[in-house]
Amino acid sequence: MCTTKEVASPLTPHIATVTKIIDETSNVKTFQVVFDDPEVLENFGNMPGQCCMLSVLGVGESMISITSSPTRKGMLEFSIVKVGRLTEVIHQLDVGNKIAIRGPYGNNFPIDEMKGKNLLIIAGGIGLAPVRSLIDYALDNRDDYGKVDVVYGARSVDLLCFKYDIFDRWPKIRDTKIHVTIDREEEQWDGHVGFVPAYMEELGFSPENTVAVTCGPPIMIKFVLQGLEKMGFKDENIITTLEMNMRCGIGKCGRCNIGEKYICVDGPVFNLSQIKLLPPEF
Amino acid sequence: MMANKSLKKDQVNNLLNKIAQSSQLIAPIRSENITRFKPVQSGEGVVLDYQNSVVPPKDYFFPQSEKMFSYDTSDPSWAITPEAGVPNRVLFGVRPCDVKSILLLDKVFDAEFRDDLYIDKRNKTTIVAVSCNECRHTCFCGAFGINPGQAEGADILLTDLGDRYLVEVLTEKGTTLVGSCSDLFADDDGNGPAAKEKAVAPAIEKQMKIDLEGVKAKLDNMFDHPMWDTESLRCIGCGTCTWVCPTCHCFDIVDFNNQSAVGYRYRCADSCQFANFTRAAGGHQPRPSKKERTRQRFMHKLRYFVDRYGDFGCVGCGRCLEKCPVNLDIAQIIKKVKEVG
Repeated sequence: MCTTKEVASPLTPHIATVTKIIDETSNVKTFQVVFDDPEVLENFGNMPGQCCMLSVLGVGESMISITSSPTRKGMLEFSIVKVGRLTEVIHQLDVGNKIAIRGPYGNNFPIDEMKGKNLLIIAGGIGLAPVRSLIDYALDNRDDYGKVDVVYGARSVDLLCFKYDIFDRWPKIRDTKIHVTIDREEEQWDGHVGFVPAYMEELGFSPENTVAVTCGPPIMIKFVLQGLEKMGFKDENIITTLEMNMRCGIGKCGRCNIGEKYICVDGPVFNLSQIKLLPPEF
Repeated sequence: MMANKSLKKDQVNNLLNKIAQSSQLIAPIRSENITRFKPVQSGEGVVLDYQNSVVPPKDYFFPQSEKMFSYDTSDPSWAITPEAGVPNRVLFGVRPCDVKSILLLDKVFDAEFRDDLYIDKRNKTTIVAVSCNECRHTCFCGAFGINPGQAEGADILLTDLGDRYLVEVLTEKGTTLVGSCSDLFADDDGNGPAAKEKAVAPAIEKQMKIDLEGVKAKLDNMFDHPMWDTESLRCIGCGTCTWVCPTCHCFDIVDFNNQSAVGYRYRCADSCQFANFTRAAGGHQPRPSKKERTRQRFMHKLRYFVDRYGDFGCVGCGRCLEKCPVNLDIAQIIKKVKEVG
């Protein structure tokens, strides 16, 4: 009888410590974490758009997108909606508490192909979280990218995430415009009121040398895609991120299988022409 | 590779006893008319005349439930202790369809992000296959190009020739195993291969003949076909098909803590036939009814697996045909696709 040597296991997480918690909305918090073993992050190699499996040991594990750009060194950030058993527990964590992380998983936004192009980001609610990694990546490499326009909305002012970015930080960066809207009028809100897809069409964007990236609730994405098509965007230049229930993150457990693809390894980032090749499961 | 050997039937028990002394021996055991693969201490009770085990030997590579690691959250650094691997093992008496299914599982687990839990078991297991002299009424391995007298992927292939077994040594692992008990084997007299062809002929001739020609191409355009509405009606969502399937590999990951800081994380077989399989936190459910779930199972075996891994995700072992309580049967589905697609 012999026992195995210890081999690196893709399903075994690394332990990290929560270093900062930001209350984004009444049900979204952003958690900044640092791995207990600094070498883990050095070798992590996360790219904008990728995800991690986050877990509280004894509770469960979930796939969460990395909202921080790899240009922001030394930590990772995850913005998490309180929606299920695990995320309820994560929302109770304090600075200094532990969290288990494995990853990074999936493909990433095509940051090289996007170089020299304008970026049009259209997001709703928590949908800004995965694309925030791309926005910060582009803005931290400002000369590599053209104009950056972000059309972002939520049902109410309270539900807008990353207010410090959309109102304070990003608008100050050159050639960067942030267009914020909320669904219904509210007192003390003098910004735009209306749904994201309609606001996007109202603003009007040229498809020329521009890549559109959208993420948000399915109904918003549906109308954004229609709007982009109307404005003349080609399928290859319309990018979104998909999500499905996942367990392993490494293309084996079968949950996020759609057609021949596994969203966890082949996605989450797809362009519209790729999505049109998948069986219409959504 | 080593030349063909011969093993007298009265030596099989000695061989199994010898193997059990140096490795863990896993072999088919019959109890109350049910044949299952089980770890055994000796050759006693091992049956090789079975037609197929009620569940596949997949369990010894991808267990129904498997501890991944233990943890202790009372430790300030959240200590994680990996599981020890398995001992060296010999999986004895596997049928050619099940051997093929292991090659298909390799495509999943030994791909990008190599699954160390699976690979540890795979590396430490020597597979001794047995050709089929007979078939069950549900067998259709030929549809997938599997020959009941061949077992690519096994380390040794035995074929029952009446008074003896023809022993074909297929790999280095097989050479090592035969070499470790060489006194039990004789050299084949040269008639073995011809005798084998005769011996396995009934299993080839009598099995269900299913022609897969054109099925994949038809399924490529049948996602919205109404047959999924009608075929799924009789499904009761029990998941038996996925439990007895040698190629199904879906799993769940769960933490067990028994209300304490010390616990473990395990994975266990899951099924695309269960509603909770794709239900996300917050309630989003891309496969809300039996229709979507039935379609997913057959599409995955006959279309998606082909696109992703270049092979069908079925080996024609017939277990799901035999065990499905409502006869929702992949052989019938294949015929139906050819008719209506």
